[in-house]
Amino acid sequence: MTESAVIGKSALRDDAYEKVAGGQGYPVNVKYPGMLHAKILRSHHPHARVVRIDAARAERLPGVKAVLLPKDAPQKAYSPVYFVPTLAASMVQDMLVLSERVRYVGQPLAAVAATTPAIAEAALELIEVDYEELPVVFDPELAMRDDAPQIHDGVPNNIAAHPKFEFGDLEQGFAEADYIFEGTYETQRVHTCYMEPRVCVVDVDSRGRVTVESSMQHLFGLREKLAFVLDIPESRVRVVKPPYIGGGFGGKLDLGYIEPIAALLSMKTGRPVRIEQSRYEDFISSARHPIKVYLKTGVTKDGIFTARYGKSILDTGAHATHGAEVINVHGFFGFLLTYPCQNQTWEGYTVYTNNMVGGGFRGYGAPQGAFAVESQIDEICEKIGMDPIEFRLKNSRAEGDPHPFNPEFTLSSYRFEECLRRGAAQFGWVNREDRTRTENTKKRGVGLACQPMWVSGCLGFPDIYEHSGAIVKLNRDGTADLAVATIDLGSGQNTTLRQIAAEELGISVEAVHITQSADTETVPFDAPSHASRVTYSAGNAVKGAAEAAKERLLEVAGTMLEADPQDLEVREGRVSVKGSPSGGISVGAVVERAESPFVQMTAVGPQPTTVAEKGTIIGVSSMAPASNPSPATAQFVEVEVDTETGEVVILRAVFAHDLGKLINPMGAQGQVEGGFQQGMGYALMERLQFDPENGACLTPDFLDYKMPTAVEMPRRIESIFIESNEPTGPFGAKSLAEPCVIVPAPAIANAVFDAIGVRIRQLPITPEKVLAALGKLEAN
Amino acid sequence: MKQIVNIEVNGDVHEVAAEPRDSLLEVLRDHLGLVGPKRGCDGGGCGCCTVLLDGRAVYSCMVYVLSAEGSAVTTVEGLAEDGQLNPLQSAFVEAGAVQCGYCTPGMIMTATELLADGEDLDDDEIRHGIAGNLCRCTGYQKIVDAVQNVARNR
Repeated sequence: MTESAVIGKSALRDDAYEKVAGGQGYPVNVKYPGMLHAKILRSHHPHARVVRIDAARAERLPGVKAVLLPKDAPQKAYSPVYFVPTLAASMVQDMLVLSERVRYVGQPLAAVAATTPAIAEAALELIEVDYEELPVVFDPELAMRDDAPQIHDGVPNNIAAHPKFEFGDLEQGFAEADYIFEGTYETQRVHTCYMEPRVCVVDVDSRGRVTVESSMQHLFGLREKLAFVLDIPESRVRVVKPPYIGGGFGGKLDLGYIEPIAALLSMKTGRPVRIEQSRYEDFISSARHPIKVYLKTGVTKDGIFTARYGKSILDTGAHATHGAEVINVHGFFGFLLTYPCQNQTWEGYTVYTNNMVGGGFRGYGAPQGAFAVESQIDEICEKIGMDPIEFRLKNSRAEGDPHPFNPEFTLSSYRFEECLRRGAAQFGWVNREDRTRTENTKKRGVGLACQPMWVSGCLGFPDIYEHSGAIVKLNRDGTADLAVATIDLGSGQNTTLRQIAAEELGISVEAVHITQSADTETVPFDAPSHASRVTYSAGNAVKGAAEAAKERLLEVAGTMLEADPQDLEVREGRVSVKGSPSGGISVGAVVERAESPFVQMTAVGPQPTTVAEKGTIIGVSSMAPASNPSPATAQFVEVEVDTETGEVVILRAVFAHDLGKLINPMGAQGQVEGGFQQGMGYALMERLQFDPENGACLTPDFLDYKMPTAVEMPRRIESIFIESNEPTGPFGAKSLAEPCVIVPAPAIANAVFDAIGVRIRQLPITPEKVLAALGKLEAN
Repeated sequence: MKQIVNIEVNGDVHEVAAEPRDSLLEVLRDHLGLVGPKRGCDGGGCGCCTVLLDGRAVYSCMVYVLSAEGSAVTTVEGLAEDGQLNPLQSAFVEAGAVQCGYCTPGMIMTATELLADGEDLDDDEIRHGIAGNLCRCTGYQKIVDAVQNVARNR
């Protein structure tokens, strides 16, 4: 393979130039002429039946154009999750756009469209609602009891899903163990905290065609789900691709309430309708599910797993939404697949409560699992006196092993051991007994955690879409337009995809432009920007489209250079005979020839070209990826715990990632650094809190919901990229995006234990919990 | 009851009819059509709406526009010099400090104030200086680098 011209070299993002000057391309800026503004009336009760709802006074308020009540909305149950078919058997269809039965505080009940947001807001106050309150349950374990209130009819014990998987002989495995460890690990509800709110504009024209612009992570998912809810053919819904959105992180992976409500109000008024959520509405619309994980684990005295049992109880809130899928990803990638063991059983419960609904969030169930598994491994190592690196290496897979989730594939690139070894070397890891300890009140400790198995997309997962498409079109100035459906949430995927196209086409990355006008009518289907999939899956599709364009380019160039296309190559924007770079012609000249009139007038008179070389040079692809390779990750942190205040400060963070081929070093570093912030917030600070009596959100803004600022972050986050070569990936790449969010919490928990000798099994590790663990404060 | 407010924004003088409850952010975005100041929380918690008000970085969502009568406002749209990005904007692009970019204009305005007195800034001073601006993508590392680069190279 010749040396890469573009891959592996940091490329600047072209959207950054626009964003530092203002940033016109966000959905929040979209305005349509004559647009109305809608606001949503939300339930004040966690569980109630609406016995009367009267909007007459609201309708009379000047400026109000329409009111939408439950009776006006289709009573068609759906699952909002974008990446599964609407009626997927694996999911639970239990939501309505507007219902007269409310199941959590904040559930939409009615909406008003008015000429200004202020009028719409004022009109909400004029809607009269009488409720019949119903009994409530906020704790999922209480909700599973026989005497608990029923949140959905026909769902006994409020169990929306109960997957269970058994491998080998668990009892035999425990019989073979020298030690058995048990522990319960609890995680909290946190929000993705994307900065741009969920916002949409929906315009239904006089012929019933629906145009949607929205801040979301999946063009085609929004089209499918909205068409289903509105009960119209998909082809009547056009979803416009935003040039970029202000973050997603999984929090915009489902049909919000806002798009169907705006569509229904637009149908009623004949005008475009815009809805922008407040930060409070964002906080109660999506969250990482709290999961309580019980583990029972058997190991030999040599540190080999003999039996692993896990039981996970997931609080999915008022509706199943992502909870029916998160539980499975949690079970497999948070527990079963992490370390091989012959005898394993895991069971999960997705449980309805009267809490807010959950959603997607980087890691999608794995952070909750990693916190449990990686914490317990530390406990095991402490007990049996083994170094945690050695323990993990004794229980790991190797390159070439069968893929544990997709047995038809092998782990064709897999460098878990190298992640641990190189991470440890850079960090300066020393065995516990050899660490120096300070005598003062600030105690330092080190910890590590791993995510040995993860995904590059969803190939092999039941009921989850996984294919990508791309269009590459060459221009007469030697540049290329690249059209894809995947939305850049901020991660920099557009730049990565431009690099892949540029490398394949033999032109510079600056010469590849991602088209700014794309919609569900013009670009091939793609699954969402989620599941660490875009570089691998969309990257393969982009490479495929670029290959097709290049093939055509070389055909035309062949006629111009009177050479066999097989003998030609493209480098630095020029087509030439292989090995003779001086002789060639520019890519632009080839395109110009292909697009020229058939007969060209020259100094010597009319000169015909050939029919065979005519036409736009374009390549199209639509394909599923060939595999689902696993990246691997290890993280090392050093903390300082103030035993007088309980505060935990992160002094150092070192990540080692096997990501396949590294495409954009600066972009990859940025992903990891941001991922650590999300993981560290989860570990130490963040928690959505609710009134235990009435279920109201007590942390509806950034003053009460604490996420790390620049001050709390460690002064430098170190990233080691271990470049394996994934044979099925574009130029050897696989994935990066999520493990960096999954591993910080257990790494930090392990470091806190190392520092103070007390194990905290409940996130977040707040100063109160640290002081309570030290016996300096009563636990609450 | 609307009142007339005179404010100078990025060098242009505007006469705006605003309700007493209107924030400076609403006027900048919804009346004057500027997209740089972003609404991230509308409650003084995220910093996405940060602008300079008479040279001071403020959360424009927390300023009643009537109180800005006669003031000069600078948004990120007002930073370009001769149609080119200014050094701080360029530094954000080059350091990889921009990911989703929603916090970026506010972050740049805060950093503009931070850099205004020409003093050297160490890592800690920059971090405390931007602590009122949240970012969820970058972990702040490359933002600090960008500000540091400007502080060093002037």
